[in-house]
Amino acid sequence: MISRHSEARLRVQSRAVAPSVLSVAYRHPPRPLGGCPICCQLRYVVAIRLELDRAASGCDAEVTVPKDLFGQFAVTVGFVNARAVLAVRGEMDRVTAPELGAILDAVIERHRSVVLDLAELDFMNAWGLGVIAARASRLRRSGGTLTIRSPSAMVLRTLDITGVTELLGVELPDPARRRLGAEQSIEDADGLDGTEPHGLAQHVGKITAVPADPDVVDGVLRLVVALARASVGGADGVSVSLRRHGRLATVAASDQTISDMDASQYATGEGPCVDASVNGRWFHAESLDSETRWPAFTPRAQALGINAILSSPLLAEDRPVGALNIYSRTAMAFTPQDRELASVFAAEASSMLTSTGVDVTDEQLSSLRNAALETRRLIAQAEGVIMEREGIEADGAYSILCNYSRRSNRPFRERAEEVVASTQRPQLDPESGPRLGDDG
Amino acid sequence: MAEISATGQPADMLDGYRRDAGLSHGDLWLRYFELGGMSNALELEAILYGALEPSPHDREVIAHALNERFVELGGNHPVPYTESDATKRRTRTAGRGSHRFAPPRSC
Repeated sequence: MISRHSEARLRVQSRAVAPSVLSVAYRHPPRPLGGCPICCQLRYVVAIRLELDRAASGCDAEVTVPKDLFGQFAVTVGFVNARAVLAVRGEMDRVTAPELGAILDAVIERHRSVVLDLAELDFMNAWGLGVIAARASRLRRSGGTLTIRSPSAMVLRTLDITGVTELLGVELPDPARRRLGAEQSIEDADGLDGTEPHGLAQHVGKITAVPADPDVVDGVLRLVVALARASVGGADGVSVSLRRHGRLATVAASDQTISDMDASQYATGEGPCVDASVNGRWFHAESLDSETRWPAFTPRAQALGINAILSSPLLAEDRPVGALNIYSRTAMAFTPQDRELASVFAAEASSMLTSTGVDVTDEQLSSLRNAALETRRLIAQAEGVIMEREGIEADGAYSILCNYSRRSNRPFRERAEEVVASTQRPQLDPESGPRLGDDG
Repeated sequence: MAEISATGQPADMLDGYRRDAGLSHGDLWLRYFELGGMSNALELEAILYGALEPSPHDREVIAHALNERFVELGGNHPVPYTESDATKRRTRTAGRGSHRFAPPRSC
């Protein structure tokens, strides 16, 4: 039996399935399903989806389990050209991997060609690996194929090391589309061509992260620089430029010459590093001898012995915040494989920068702190009101507010506002003010 | 093997909840500060890892900061407000194969 409580949190979207069909089906499961009701719900939604798929084509179902149980884990099931495509989002671990396994089992019953899109998979451990390997093996035995689409470099490496890729088809992401975007010519360098920057208001609305300690971020970026320096063929020096306090700065560099290279670009306001940081596109100067895009910077670079530069953008929340710059003393030093490797490093660094909130500006951070101070002041006032009314100490007053917020599932701040506002209504009898321990 | 506190809880239980809530240490500190918390960011981190014993009031503020985040995500106050609440919950959920420090399943 699926409780109303759980059902209310299960979000099902479908273009082709009437909500009434799904709710009727929830109330009358066709067969008992063991295990956790959440698993039952997932299996059941997929079962419904598969039944309807025979009658109607082109409909999708999105299954999102309650986030407090499974983080951001979600699976979207779609059907394209007789292939079942399961897009997995979030983390695949001990708890969520069996959920994916249950969905895969249901899909494999009817489809021999299954695609697992892992482009938005953030994490996978051995449990996820086991689920994928078992289903790939089963599909292979029955003449079908399981294809992994757009795995991250880390997931692909894990699948490779464990030999699971031998059981799978693998569709790698289009590197130009997913990692780098198209290389930009100087003619269209003043716009983003479809990847326009987010408006400030839009971005402010999305802020939830407080930036991490810059020392921690810089430490990780120094590691990225060292790894890129050792891994990318032809690299004689590597640096990372990052926008901080409104201007670009080199936060990690393999040596002083490379740091000077970056400084030359900041000074002249041009160069692949500056352009990649501003425009969010990658720039490749194959040979500075024939380079015409940066007339002020190019001679300075050549004077320092640099002949080829590869700059990949670093993005946070899809906004350009800096660049990974790879320099070589040899013209034509970077192969397509080197560019792909650079894009992998840039993508991983971008992921880290997004999670550490480096795109939050000083003004936005100041706004966050001011809002926190305002709420803190409000709560202190509410505590004072309760202390006076109830004749209790500060901790007791806080607990009363806290209990109310917990029982009513409303934010602490809202109750504090009510308490403070109640003192500003002269028509209210102070004796009949809200009894603060009550739910109402 | 996770270090176990004197109350039988993993020492970093609160940090487990923080991870499950998808908050960075900085995010949680700002929420904690907003709700009246008095410890600085480093002290809060030490409390989360179990290296520093919070006062009952601090414990309540941290739990509420985390729970407000879980409510935003559709949950229902999974973080115990006191050590004794945590111990009771641990007894109730023993043997259910719970995931890390995730709240008990509603089913």
